[in-house]
Amino acid sequence: MDTLTIALSKGRLAEQAIELLEQAGYDCSAAKEKSRKLILEDAQTGLRFIMAKPADVPTYVEYGAADIGVVGKDTLLEESRQLYEVLNLGFGACRMCVCGPKALAGRLDRLPNKRIGTKYPHIAREYFETKKRESVEIIKLNGSVELAPLIGLSDVIVDIVESGRTLDENGLGVLEVIEDISARMVVNRVSMKMKADRINPLIQAVRVQLDQNRQQAVAAAATAARAEVTA
Amino acid sequence: MGQWQFHTPDGVQDLLPDDCYAKRQLEHKLRDLFWQRGYLELETPGIEFYDVYASGSGLAPQEGLFKFFDQQGRILCLRYDGTVPAARVAATLYRDSQLPLRFSYINSMYRYNESGGGRQREFSQAGVELMGSQSPAADAEIIAMAIESAQATGIKDLQVSIGQVNFFKGLVAEWGLDEETAEKLHRLIDAKDMVAIEELSDRIGLAGKAREVLLQMPALFGTYDVIDRLETLVENALSREALENLRAVLGHLDDAGLLEFVSLDLGQLQSLNYYSGVIFKGFTYGLGFPLFSGGRYDQLVGNFGRDLSATGFSIGLNFALMALRRQGHSLPSRPAVDFLGYHPSRQADALDRVRQMRQNGWSVVCDYDGKSYAELTQLAEHGDFTSILYLGPDSDDIETIEPQVAP
Repeated sequence: MDTLTIALSKGRLAEQAIELLEQAGYDCSAAKEKSRKLILEDAQTGLRFIMAKPADVPTYVEYGAADIGVVGKDTLLEESRQLYEVLNLGFGACRMCVCGPKALAGRLDRLPNKRIGTKYPHIAREYFETKKRESVEIIKLNGSVELAPLIGLSDVIVDIVESGRTLDENGLGVLEVIEDISARMVVNRVSMKMKADRINPLIQAVRVQLDQNRQQAVAAAATAARAEVTA
Repeated sequence: MGQWQFHTPDGVQDLLPDDCYAKRQLEHKLRDLFWQRGYLELETPGIEFYDVYASGSGLAPQEGLFKFFDQQGRILCLRYDGTVPAARVAATLYRDSQLPLRFSYINSMYRYNESGGGRQREFSQAGVELMGSQSPAADAEIIAMAIESAQATGIKDLQVSIGQVNFFKGLVAEWGLDEETAEKLHRLIDAKDMVAIEELSDRIGLAGKAREVLLQMPALFGTYDVIDRLETLVENALSREALENLRAVLGHLDDAGLLEFVSLDLGQLQSLNYYSGVIFKGFTYGLGFPLFSGGRYDQLVGNFGRDLSATGFSIGLNFALMALRRQGHSLPSRPAVDFLGYHPSRQADALDRVRQMRQNGWSVVCDYDGKSYAELTQLAEHGDFTSILYLGPDSDDIETIEPQVAP
């Protein structure tokens, strides 16, 4: 049996992916092993898991080092790789937004020569330059992005927003929503053909499982969205 | 002294003798295969005018070209692919020729892409172009040659997926999609992003058969069964013609005994302003990227002033070598090279013998600095040469020097 290599984004996404695969009937005990190993293989099930930094998962899959990957849509957008994006797994839900001082609400387009602080330079550029046809200055940051507009490093930021609390506590707000984000299952384009007999049943099993879980997931997301609006 | 003197630029590599030999052998095999089928080899320049690739709506992405200027300030670029220069030649130097034209090439291409996973910025491609035929038999001939080329390199496990861009174009027209929506749908189908496809289908209000086609299109694999299935679902003439065209191509491949390698994938779309009919990609184990790709490009040659329907393919030689290695096949290995040393008194003998050996097809290096017997023994231990021969001072015999320790 061919080994199927699955790249997981280290952390919460990996745990949720493993849980979902187990629900769908795939034995992932190898992946649940508490250890510092980066490659977790189970010869019996023919599954090999690699634990990678989220931003590297699309690369592993595009180059065929992994057949399948589980990774957030934010990372996929930022990395913009040639992959098959076969399933929306639902978990890890949040939104990619343009955020800034609340005073800018509804006036964003009138602000010329914007400076944008972000961990996602590609997404920010794509949104402003391609979609809004506007030239902007991108400032690449690596964390605590909310700080940038507060101390005048940038006018606005592009970042993922879950509850919106950090923004709110710092006097910032969502100005525009770029895209809804959640975890996706991606497949290497060659593996999809060469290992179709193993990959297609896996996608199908996970899809069925997702349908079963969907009602709850949708309800939970709706609750979260309401909470954010009222917060 | 610069900082970079010990390095090669990103995406280019030195090809050392063992790999270089293996690659040349693959090139020979492919060159023979192309010639046997009447595809005449063309060597277009390594440098083209930028305008060649910028013609029409852009035949190569601007960011992907290595660009520089000539002395008149005109923009030049390095050869990006084999097809566009062949199209330029067909439409200009061959403008009054009999059709069809059959060209082949084996050349280095230069693309300013991110390298990695076996992708380089300088890489070798072998390919053919068949220009002046619209027949499905021409498409089948090209697909068959692509499969045979991969096999000639030694790759056995092969999957070819075949699509037809007009199937999608017909649907876009039938559904009356604007350019932006069509472009978005194209991207989603190409990524097999089923969730987003479903959402978009709801947004543009597709129902019934139209919705069913869209949701099945990216996931249907097979041969004739796929065509039978989709024929019951589409109404528009362009899409139906595309399906009939595919049926004809499959028929030819079937007759050639190659059907086992191919599978239809109507969700495979590639670049729509370049390709105009049947398109295909070949896959094998151990490679994250397609081994070969190709298709029909009926509008491309028109950019150079001659309307000529055409189809072709190219196979990546570096990819082929990488796949062979990863699949555990042995690569063609360098032939033996011998070394001949001699006592100073035997120089004339030695030169004569070397000449004879070379005439008989041996590869042999002749000593030029009077190596002693002891030095030759050391050379034998080093293992660079297959065997070390020595002409001694007083015998007519030729002696083979064995390494004293196992190499």
